[in-house]
Amino acid sequence: MLCRNEHSVMHENTISVISTSAGLLSAAASSLTVSAALLGCRGTALEPGPTCQAVGRGRAVNIIRLPCLCGEGKIKMSVLNSASTSPFPAASPRWGRNGRRAGVAVPRPGPPSAGPGPAFPRGPLGRRRRQVTALGAAGAPAGWAVVAGPGAAERRETARHPGGAAGTMERAAAAAGPAVEGGGVSRRAVRAGGAAAAGAGSRQPSTETLDSPTGSHVEWCKQLIAATISSQISGSVPSEGVSRDYRVYRRPVIREIQDGHNGYHSEAEPDQALRDGNKLAQMEEAPLFPGESIKVIAKDVMYICPFMGAVSGTLTVTDFRMFIKSVERDPPFVVDVPLGVISRVEKIGVQSHGDNSCGIEIVCKDMRNLRLAYKQEEQNRLEIFENLVIRAFPVSNGLPLFAFSYKEKFAVNGWKVYDPMAEYKRQGLPNESWKISKINSTYELCDTYPAVLVVPTSVKDDDLSKVAAFRAKGRVPVLSWIHPESQATITRCSQPSVGPNDKRCKEDEKYLQTIMDANAQSHKLIIFDARQNSVADTNKAKGGGYESESAYPNAELVFLEIHNIHVMRESLRKLKEIVYPTIDETRWLSNVDSTHWLEYIRMLLAGAVRIADKIESGKTSVVVHCSDGWDRTAQLTALAMLMLDSYYRTIKGFEVLVEKEWISFGHRFAMRVGHGDDDHADADRSPIFLQFIDCVWQMTRQFPAAFEFNELFLITILDHLYSCLFGTFLCNCEKERLKEEVSTKTVSLWSYINSQLEEFTNPFYVNYENHVLYPVASLNHLELWVNYYIRWNPRMRPQVPIHQNLKELLAIRTELQKKVEDLQREAATRSISSSSDRGSSPSHSATPVHTSV
Amino acid sequence: PLLDKKKIKLDPVRQGEIVVNEVNFVRKCIATDTSQYDLWGKLVCTNFKISFITDDPMPLQKFHYKNLLLGEHDVPLTCIEQIVTVNDTKRKQKVLGPNQKLKFNPTELIIYCKDFRIVRFRFDEAGPESAKKVCLAIAHYSQPTDLQLLFAFEYVGEIYHNPAKKVNGIDPGGGGGGISSASGQQTPLFETYSDWDREIKRTGASEWRVCSVNEGYMISTCLPEYFVVPSSLADQDLKLYSYSFIGRRMPLWSWNHPNGSALVRMANIKDVLQQRRIDQRICNAITRSHPLRSDVYKSDLDKCLPNIQEIQAAYNKLKQLCVNDPFDDTEEKWLSSLENTRWLEYIRAFLKHSAELVYMMECKHVSVVLQEEEGRDLSCLAASLIQVMLDPYFRTIVGFQSLIQKEWVMAGYQFLDRCNHLKRSDKESPLFLMFLDCVWQLLEQYPAAFEFSEVYLTVLHDSARISLFGTFLFNCPHQRVKESTEFAISKNIQLGDEKGLRFPCVWDWSLQFTSRDRLLFHNPLYVGKSAPGVHNGALRTFKRSKKNYSSTLRGVPPAIKNGIIGEQEFVPRRNSLILKLKPEFLHSAEGQSHSMEQYFRDWFAKPVDLHGVILPHLSGTQIKLWKLCYFRWVPEAQISHGGSITAFHRVSVLADEVDMLNRSLRQYKSNSSLPGHCSELDQSRMYFRANGLNDTSGTPDFLSSSFPFSPVGNLCKRSILGTPLSKFLSGAKIWLSTETLANED
Repeated sequence: MLCRNEHSVMHENTISVISTSAGLLSAAASSLTVSAALLGCRGTALEPGPTCQAVGRGRAVNIIRLPCLCGEGKIKMSVLNSASTSPFPAASPRWGRNGRRAGVAVPRPGPPSAGPGPAFPRGPLGRRRRQVTALGAAGAPAGWAVVAGPGAAERRETARHPGGAAGTMERAAAAAGPAVEGGGVSRRAVRAGGAAAAGAGSRQPSTETLDSPTGSHVEWCKQLIAATISSQISGSVPSEGVSRDYRVYRRPVIREIQDGHNGYHSEAEPDQALRDGNKLAQMEEAPLFPGESIKVIAKDVMYICPFMGAVSGTLTVTDFRMFIKSVERDPPFVVDVPLGVISRVEKIGVQSHGDNSCGIEIVCKDMRNLRLAYKQEEQNRLEIFENLVIRAFPVSNGLPLFAFSYKEKFAVNGWKVYDPMAEYKRQGLPNESWKISKINSTYELCDTYPAVLVVPTSVKDDDLSKVAAFRAKGRVPVLSWIHPESQATITRCSQPSVGPNDKRCKEDEKYLQTIMDANAQSHKLIIFDARQNSVADTNKAKGGGYESESAYPNAELVFLEIHNIHVMRESLRKLKEIVYPTIDETRWLSNVDSTHWLEYIRMLLAGAVRIADKIESGKTSVVVHCSDGWDRTAQLTALAMLMLDSYYRTIKGFEVLVEKEWISFGHRFAMRVGHGDDDHADADRSPIFLQFIDCVWQMTRQFPAAFEFNELFLITILDHLYSCLFGTFLCNCEKERLKEEVSTKTVSLWSYINSQLEEFTNPFYVNYENHVLYPVASLNHLELWVNYYIRWNPRMRPQVPIHQNLKELLAIRTELQKKVEDLQREAATRSISSSSDRGSSPSHSATPVHTSV
Repeated sequence: PLLDKKKIKLDPVRQGEIVVNEVNFVRKCIATDTSQYDLWGKLVCTNFKISFITDDPMPLQKFHYKNLLLGEHDVPLTCIEQIVTVNDTKRKQKVLGPNQKLKFNPTELIIYCKDFRIVRFRFDEAGPESAKKVCLAIAHYSQPTDLQLLFAFEYVGEIYHNPAKKVNGIDPGGGGGGISSASGQQTPLFETYSDWDREIKRTGASEWRVCSVNEGYMISTCLPEYFVVPSSLADQDLKLYSYSFIGRRMPLWSWNHPNGSALVRMANIKDVLQQRRIDQRICNAITRSHPLRSDVYKSDLDKCLPNIQEIQAAYNKLKQLCVNDPFDDTEEKWLSSLENTRWLEYIRAFLKHSAELVYMMECKHVSVVLQEEEGRDLSCLAASLIQVMLDPYFRTIVGFQSLIQKEWVMAGYQFLDRCNHLKRSDKESPLFLMFLDCVWQLLEQYPAAFEFSEVYLTVLHDSARISLFGTFLFNCPHQRVKESTEFAISKNIQLGDEKGLRFPCVWDWSLQFTSRDRLLFHNPLYVGKSAPGVHNGALRTFKRSKKNYSSTLRGVPPAIKNGIIGEQEFVPRRNSLILKLKPEFLHSAEGQSHSMEQYFRDWFAKPVDLHGVILPHLSGTQIKLWKLCYFRWVPEAQISHGGSITAFHRVSVLADEVDMLNRSLRQYKSNSSLPGHCSELDQSRMYFRANGLNDTSGTPDFLSSSFPFSPVGNLCKRSILGTPLSKFLSGAKIWLSTETLANED
């Protein structure tokens, strides 16, 4: 019902766009004929992925919003007049005929600024997003904000609330900002969140219409690039530059405009020209975050989309993102990729037209590869590749990560989310057995541990240092969680330095005994070694090892047989192979099997279930370690805590969990993700945190009502694990973070999330306060997280999620409740006693919700 | 053992139910690696079920969901798949067939059930002879040699003999009540002329008529007495043609699209000489019944869908996978194994083919003929799926039940053979389950489009394994009449005017469940929404008018005739040999295939009208395993406090609140001065009810992914790392073929 309304709005808008840009399109189409034909025979390419459509529509509506907001329109034009030095073209159809005939991209009026040059991006653009908030009231810049507003998510919001409430737009803008990623993808995330889940995008394009390409994908792409370029060449590309520096870029623009519009520009319709030119200008340029600046703009870059074929558009590289926009598709096609997700940028040869054409392959950390092709005629065109490499890997090139330039202000300060003292206090600490120790306040005991640690009360600092000397990297056993009733504890540490000669450490043995004694309920201590037994043995030979039962008589050692970071990296690599870009439907399940990804997920969950069960049912304290205690250990303790403690299943609690078990305890995010680093083959990289989030997602699937957060929340966390927009996942440990002043110089991801909580809230959430949740760690209950791993594939869209219906019900209820209350009030005024006791104020509203069930 | 000689009471014995044999001091095994949870009690075999009556009464489940016909540990005899007796000291085991001898005293009895349960009893403390007798009795009674030995006959015979004693209020003649007796909705059974006539009127099939030539089953014994044919075909012609069809199964009309296209099912024509002529006559008649005189599109199901043997093979593998293997230590190959069963692949094939035929009717405006050798297996499934996708009426409870009556029971789906009630059929095939699974896939994809829930589908599947309901007992309507008349004569029952005995109807759900439990059949997402046109399952008729036709008509015929569907794909005027039809016709014609793609693409790009056509998503990630149905008895697969039921609960509570508000609103509007009408306020359509508005109470403790089924009491491993079930059963693996074990006694 609601969604139907929304759709009608969308459709109308789309239609009106088509009418204004039809001519432009028809001309644009010709340059693509060759490649399209080629694509057509592959079966996949002509599929106009609804994602793209949906996204495009989003863009389209951005433009459409103009008429709705004509109040701002005039203001905006005046701004343009003052800012722009270039006359703008007349009606767009003429543009199309003329400008396009030569096969050039639409002569664009250049960056709408034109005025103050380099300062511009920090000017109106820089403020844009905040101004969206002030829509309508903020005068001139607001017009800008509206026109170039951030995209699909926003469009949905607008469609939903045609009134264009400023608040919603702000939220949407914020969402579209960091979350937006290529060709409509993370829009899906946003949408999956339900802003418009039942929208056009929420369906699969067709039942079984796609073939998977037969040959190898690489070969296919090469052919595609070749064909694409040949079509460009045959279209007699003018000498227009493809890529140039921002500053340089302006000159040809002027020339272009003169060339392209001789005889068409009419003084009689300056307003029209301005408006159209303005549209076009914004249509090709990237939206910017506060603090973000454009580094390169190149036009006529071909983006080779594996789902909808090659698209020619303008490439913008900023210090944060890579942005491709093509207005030759209707609705315009956009790829918006934070540079942080880029793992590797490589040139790929294009055989047939070796002369001056060039291809780039961009391998991303988030399960997709992007391919670009462009003509390389002049020396300066190398800049595309070089700029991309420099900007994508700032650390390797001596540049700061973008998080340090990001200047967004949020209502909430996410750096305040985690306060270790408060968290330990929540757990009932300190108590008679456990104390909060400041021994590591200068990170001398252990440089990868947090400053605040919880250790047994009776342990002396001297002994602690001896224990630290015996444990790898000084990571002594410290408390992660304590059971409120049984006092059974989860402690975490690294492996003991037993070595080949079975070295012992009296203090370490005593220390573990103290941990056991702190729990009166059990006379045993279970040590979970996450590793495979054989690997632990190998480690012993290298000076590490595990607790022998002779040295630790009351301890029971259990190996969880979980593979190491290299195995996980390889597994994810295989997973990417089977999900991107195409899927073999007939062998889908066995292909998933062959990656072992779900099997490893199962082992992690099973291990965490065993830990949780020992604590809850066995009332026995556990010690968890692997080798260094910052990968598998963090996965296991965090998952067990999530099962045991319902607090961590709230949004706030989960943030605390991530801050505590992962960030403060030194999971080496920078190293595992490789932030800003160009060494894509670095053996230290591994998707350990991704695996953890996947496990959490599996739990949310099994317990749809037990988590306060939704799927979008998890996807957003993963997107910003890579994006380097926020400081949350930077550096490797607390000490480093302090040195880099991360919390003062960057914004926390939780600031962004907590200032729009309703986006991330699961509507099914009910209070599970005292439940321990044991997920079934079996492959028949585990699923591949399609909405994350295969989200780039437009065919893999979620169905109308059940929460959509729930939302409708919530809306209906609110409406009815209001009616009933009105009637009650009416009845009351007529002084007829009403016995009804219902009618508290409506506490629920139709908030956008995100989980799919 | 804790044996307390309490008076053990058997469940209220049903009419005609007799205790055949019983044995005391039996231990029912719960876990594979420990006996500490085992239950002690009495094992009873009646002519209806096997029953295990625990010495200590089991604590009632916190939810009171139960089947009125069966206790928690009961298994209906028709639900038994295989009986294995074991003597562990002599290391012997034997699969017990009917009338077989057992040369050893069993120490253990393992019963594999068709609903994927495994029940295991130990006789360590029981008398060896009586244990053996019970095993043999179970083997004997669960594998009757004759249809008339099924319990339903015994029961109905008893009712006819003592019409006064209606146990549990069962009225043997009772037609199909809806789920809630309050609604008074009756499921049309399509046994009468008028039911068919109403369906014709409902779908606006004005060029079709009810034909009575088969009254008294004079023409065909596997067709219903009444069915629908093109108005232009005279009875005389039909009779003549009927000889040429296999089983004399003339074309049967199923349904009409609002645009006038008809869905027809037809058996093959066996008379080669007449084939062309008759085929042409039939097709011409169908064309004439189309308002546009559109062509007929034939789909040879035998050529484009898996056959019943393949489906059975897939089912066997699935069973093996879901019961035996899922919790083995080495489960890493689980997904591959699932793929290898091909079950999901077949589900997809049926959904896909049906969607393509939906396209033909909906978009091409042509009548579709489902052609199959006998026209009573794959066509039941395809015809039903097409209608579920096209007609929202069939997504209501009453509509869905009428669909099963129309396309399965009356069309002669051989429930007796396919369900293998007599355990002697080599024609077993789970087509009906596959249909329910396909519908479940649609329900999963469009949760708000169906009035019923997945519990309803599961319970429906179970009901086919209870030999009480006439609905699922016979191969065709005629068989009921014939067998029950014979039975009546032998039992000296006066039938009077009735054609055969009336058996209880499965649609009378009050026989199995209380009215409160029946609320679980309601889908809160459907009920909670104000569903236009489908209020309370009311009949929704298409609004048709001549105007409608003309508007849909424009531009259509040329499109069809211009070879969008290749000429030969249509029932050709000249060359009508069916054999020449290509099985993959839909993909053979480029242009047509393109426009079908276009249709699907457009459809998926638009918002779904839940009360219009729905089409299935078919990608690998979207066809799923129906876990509630296949895993509910596997304790290890149970997610306690979890599963989608927790979301169902939340939606139910919300829907209940909406209901509550609606009612009070109505109350205020109708008569605000009278705060009474409390009775109306108490009525809820939800199983889970809200405690007032803005109910924030948590999820009930008893919810689990198997809800409302309780796997307690079924064999399981205790711990994640416990002994795998298959190892434990040491050779007595599930569903061993009888041959391999036959010599082991």
